[in-house]
Amino acid sequence: MIPTGRSNPDIGCFGRCRAQPMFHRVLDANPATVRAALQDVRQRFLPEVCEDTLGRLELVLAEVMNNVTEHAPHEVPDPTPDPGRSPVIHLCIVRHDGGLACALTDDGISLPEGCILPRSLPALVPGDLPEGGFGWFLIQDLTQALCYYREDSRNYLAFSLPFALPEAE
Amino acid sequence: MQFIVEDADTHLHIKVLDTRIDAAIATPFKDKLREIVAPCRKPVRLDMAAVDFMDSSGLGAMIAVRKSLPEHLAMVLSALTPNVERVFRLTRMDSVFDLQPPPPQKEPDA
Repeated sequence: MIPTGRSNPDIGCFGRCRAQPMFHRVLDANPATVRAALQDVRQRFLPEVCEDTLGRLELVLAEVMNNVTEHAPHEVPDPTPDPGRSPVIHLCIVRHDGGLACALTDDGISLPEGCILPRSLPALVPGDLPEGGFGWFLIQDLTQALCYYREDSRNYLAFSLPFALPEAE
Repeated sequence: MQFIVEDADTHLHIKVLDTRIDAAIATPFKDKLREIVAPCRKPVRLDMAAVDFMDSSGLGAMIAVRKSLPEHLAMVLSALTPNVERVFRLTRMDSVFDLQPPPPQKEPDA
């Protein structure tokens, strides 16, 4: 739960190359820690990333981490004899010239098959509107170069979040 | 969950005081708001100015509240912040709710 992100614009790497702010955190997957991490991500990038991009970043990270939290295998009515535990999420974000590169890993259950395949919104049926099923649509819509694989007991998800046009360098 | 509720003659005016409608509060938010909205049988106007973040679980809560109101009664969402409006627009839910821009700021009298 200790933020290990670093930002030190005073230390240039060999002259011209700028140091870029990054954020790294390891957290238990539950709604309170996810909320806290999102607020800290915002604080980390606030000075250098515009509000529009921050808003998209916060939304997409929330959707990814909520998925891990909601589908945690320990969520059974009777947790004994194995009390189980929350999955642990590793979150890493690096700013680069075109946007923000994000990588998340977790040791929860596998992400749904086809989660990175193009999908459409749930059908808007009048009188019976969907109350869920928006998460992966939003993740796909807001990101670029979304990729996922599972290795052993961990999920690996990575994507890029482009800057808003006026902000791109 | 905090709301300021004002029963105007023609509609119910509700100001949302939470700044985040996210997975941490979506279920109690939905339950509380449904309790307020469902019995009144009036159009509802929600002032969303204070809400600066909403995720898809928050959106689900808003849709559930909308469904607790008969279809012929409008649910107007006013003063949406850009981050919240984005979620409604990306998911096409702006066709289900009546999104209204914030009222123009009145200049104080000189």
